[in-house]
Order: sequence, then C-alpha cells, then structure tokens
Amino acid sequence: MTAIIEGIGLTKRFGFGDAAVVAIDSVDIHIDERELVMIMGDSGCGKTTLISLLGCILTPDAGELRIDGEEIDLTAEAQFQQLSLIRREKIGFVFQLFHLLPYLTALENVMVAMDIAKTDKSEAEDRSIELLTRVGLSDRLHHRPAQMSGGEKQRVSFARALANRPKVIFADEPTANLDSRQSDNLMNLIQELRQEHQTTVVIVTHHEGLKENADRIVYMKDGKVISS
Amino acid sequence: MKSFFLKDMQYRRARVVLTSLGITVLISLILLLGGIMNGMRIQAQQYVKSTGADIWISAEGSGGAFIGFSLLIEENMAPLNAARELKEGSLSPLIFAQARPIVRGKSTKAIVVGYMTDKYGGPKQVLDGEGRMFKASEFQDYRPEDPIPLEVIVDEKMGLEIGEQITIGTNTVKVVGKTSSLMFVLDTPLIFMDVRVAQKVLLGNYPRVNMMIAKANENMEPEKVAAFFDASGDIEARTMNQTLDDIIAYYVDEPMKAVQFLRVMLWIAAGLLVGMITYVTMLEKTQEIGVLKAIGASNNYVMTHLLKQVALISVVGVTIGFCLSYVFAAAAPIFVAINLVESIIVAGISFIVCCGSGYLAARKVIMVDPLIAFRGEIDGGMFRLPPTVAYPDA
Repeated sequence: MTAIIEGIGLTKRFGFGDAAVVAIDSVDIHIDERELVMIMGDSGCGKTTLISLLGCILTPDAGELRIDGEEIDLTAEAQFQQLSLIRREKIGFVFQLFHLLPYLTALENVMVAMDIAKTDKSEAEDRSIELLTRVGLSDRLHHRPAQMSGGEKQRVSFARALANRPKVIFADEPTANLDSRQSDNLMNLIQELRQEHQTTVVIVTHHEGLKENADRIVYMKDGKVISS
Repeated sequence: MKSFFLKDMQYRRARVVLTSLGITVLISLILLLGGIMNGMRIQAQQYVKSTGADIWISAEGSGGAFIGFSLLIEENMAPLNAARELKEGSLSPLIFAQARPIVRGKSTKAIVVGYMTDKYGGPKQVLDGEGRMFKASEFQDYRPEDPIPLEVIVDEKMGLEIGEQITIGTNTVKVVGKTSSLMFVLDTPLIFMDVRVAQKVLLGNYPRVNMMIAKANENMEPEKVAAFFDASGDIEARTMNQTLDDIIAYYVDEPMKAVQFLRVMLWIAAGLLVGMITYVTMLEKTQEIGVLKAIGASNNYVMTHLLKQVALISVVGVTIGFCLSYVFAAAAPIFVAINLVESIIVAGISFIVCCGSGYLAARKVIMVDPLIAFRGEIDGGMFRLPPTVAYPDA
C-alpha cells in the first residue's frame, strides 16, 4: 500500500536550555492509505506530540514530513499557508477534549469547517446535517456543546473532522472522556465511517480494549517508537 | 457563515458590553476634558468680542487690560480723546473687576462691568420683556458727590428677578434688567452697571477706571494704532486679538496647565487601557484560535474573524462615547464646548488604537502552532504555563 504519511527523523523539544524536554526523538514513521493505526504507550511518552506533528498542528524542530506525497516545507514563511491548506483539505482532527466552539450549535460547529474551506453555505448545511445524522445526532443539530453529553460532543467532533472529506483523521484519546458503552459505540462508528469514506485513521489511545480495532499498533516510549 | 463573529460576540455579550463600556467611558472623559478647556476658551473670549472694540488700553506696567492691576487716571485719557488714530468719540471707559456680590443672602462669584451706556463695553439693550436698561449717570465728570441710581443689568443665567436687590461691597444695587448670557471663564456671570455705579460700589467713588477701549480710525490698522499708543510709555495698548491671546493665556492656559498635563496623561492612559482591553480580549480567545487553525483556518481567515469583532466593539464603544460626551456636556454644571473636529480625531485615533492592539494580539496568537495556541501556551504571553508542564503530557 502507498504511504499517505511519512515522517523521517521527526524531533520535537519543549522548553529551553536545561529545562528543555525532548518529547519526540528522531522518530521515523509511516502510515499507509486506509489503515487504522493506533499509537499507544505510557503517559508522557510523546503520543499526543507525535500525532500533533503528523496532523500538522505542531511544527517539528527537525525531520521531514510528507503527507499524501507532498513534502511539508517547515520554513517559517512557507509553513503557515501550506499547513493551513493541508489541515483544511487532507486532515481531520478529533481532540480528546472535543474543542468545539462553545458559541456555535452542533450544526454550526460542523459548518464552520466548511466555511473555512469556502464551501457554499447551502451545500455546507446539507452536508453538515447529513454527517450529524450519520453520527446519530439528527435531534441535536441546534444544541450548543454545553447542552450535549461527552459522547455527543465527541460525535460532533468526528462529524466536523469529516466535513471536508479528509484523507486522514487523527483522533487524540477520543474515548478518554467516554464510558465503556460510549467508547464501543464510538469505535464502531469510526470503523463504519472509515469504510464509508475510505479514510485513513490514526488514533492515540492508552485504552488496551481498543487494540482489536487496529490494523496496526505503534508503541512508544520516552519519545521514541519502539515497535510498529 | 457570515455571522460567525457575531455569534461569538453574542455568546460573550457580557465581555463585549464591558469592553465597549470601557472604551465609551475613556472616550467620554477625553472629550469632556477637552470640552471643558474649549468652553473656558470660548467664555474667555466672548465678552471681549461682544464689545466690538479693537483697541484695549490699560495702565503702564499692568501687562494688559485683563492681566495685572490697572487704574487709569484722567491725565491718560485727555490725549486719547483727542487722538486722531481713534474713531471720534469711540474712547470708552471701562471697569472690569471680580466681585463677590451677596445674592439672596449668599456670597457668589461675579464680574462687575462698569461702562457708559452710549459707549463700548456693555449690552445695548436688555432681553425682550426682561426689564429695562439702567438709568445712566447724568454726571460724566467723575464727581464723587453726584447722586447716581444704583441699578444693574444682570446675566439671565444668574436667575435673578427684576426688582431684586443684591449687595456689592457695602452698597445695595437693584436689578432692573436682564441681558443675554456672556459668562466669563468658569461660568462667571457678568453684572453690568454704569461706570459711575461701578466706581461707587467697587472703588469707593474713586474716579478711576481699569481700562479704556476704543475703535481704531477706519483708515488705520488696529495693530499700528495699538503699537503707536503702547510706544508712548504712559499706557499699554493692545489690539483685540492681542487682548484675547492675553486672556486665554492668563485665564485658561496658565491655570489649566495641570489639567492639560492630566489631559495628556489621560490620552496616554486611555490609549494603553483601550489597547490593553482589546489585547487581553484577543489573547483570551487563544484556545479558539488554535481550534480554528487546527481545522484548517488560514491566518487571514482567523485575523478577519477577530478584527471584525474588534472593529465592531470599537465602533460601538467610540460611537456611544462620542454621543454620551455631548449628553454629559449638556448636563455639566459648567460650560463645556466639545469641538466636533477634535471629537472626530479622538474617535478616529481610538478606533485605530483598538484595531491596532487587536491586530497585534491576534498576530501573536496566529503565528504559533495550533496545538500551542489551544493549550494557551503562547510564548511570553500571560497564559504561559510553568516550563515543567509546558509540553503535551501524552
């Protein structure tokens, strides 16, 4: 299979001088098209940092990154435009804490991703309703995040991630704030959506019970990939 | 969604209202302070301008007609009366002095203006239906023993009734008419009376005046006439414009230096506060900016979204502040004259400061990685976490 994401020698440090911490240490990684990969490891091993680097929401200090065959230019001037374009067209991100915009309804939270991509408003609304219906929230379209449960918010977050038909969905601890029933439902939904949309899925989790859903598991320790 | 930024503002209406209110108060304060200064300037000039005289003469060494102590003696006046540089018969004696008249049992501030009814220096008539002119003294030769009717015309804003009596010094004078308002600096009302009455109530019948005012001969330039008399060394002479400059400097600019300083400080403080309010408001949105960027928003998209909010808040705050300052000016206990041009400049600068601060804060946030932004770990920002937790924990 073709690698949709390829990272070589990815390195990320936080802090300066003596306080500097190497969160990701020369990691080589590739993710194939339509794969469901889980990144696992102990707390603090660098899982979130790695998925953030791969999902282009964090810039590496060193290394090369290729997404869908496109080399990511990490020079400061170039990166902002290129990265926003890649995030908009090729990547969908699902966050552990959902990160929905509190002042928008579920429908608007999905629509905003398409507004960013300059999708026609009526088309965006139709597609948002379709996606929210697909994730089982047709009766929650006009509810704000504060009026929804954790599971519902996570499903809105998934619908938003799918809004612009991305090639890869990154999910950072998507089940961390859900109970086991909600977690199972969410994983089933992810599997279904992955099949429907032919999407590559990369999930960070420390939930051992989810392993059976993965095509491949990447284990990390102290900022390094120890097996994949 | 075109109304995306409006929904955000609606959701955070308390903060939006408070931010606008902060801008409103600062704009109002700046405009009101400017209006007070401007009002003092207008009041300082309006009496002088109302006289129509263009030559103002005071005693040598007084520093000007309204500045230092000035008493002119008859020997000064004789040559002036005959001077061909002045319009014939225009030379007018004038007393202009601060007083503390007792009005309805209360000591109050006022300025006594003593003039001759057929000369320059006072109103030509009273307001319609508001009494009559005072009876002028029949004696113009300054004999202290001549009887004179103690009648005055008061500024309509003094609130006195016709026939009411007020006490100036040891004399009681009767209000016989009211004239349109010609308040002097800081709303000091003018009480007009015959020059002989003024000599009696203020100078104990001493036959002197503070100043003489006149009109330059039609074919003479007032500047040259004033310079000619001034050069004599016996008197000081000024044109009307010079006199106005003296008054503004002496009654407004000099005593209000501290206020001017405060005004400058207020400008700086307002700029900083308005800037800080918008700057902090922007930084508080760091997390949302991070989310927007994470889902693909370009820097331009985020910046436009934020600047629309700042611009709207600024416009609302500045506009309300602009309008409120006029309302406050009308309700103020002293004369406040807000200058429209200055108001527009203040409004414009405030708008630019608001938008500029919002732009700087937004720029600071959008230039970082989304993950850092929505974790609120902007480098050097006030939301930075301690280094030990400043990295992702998974």
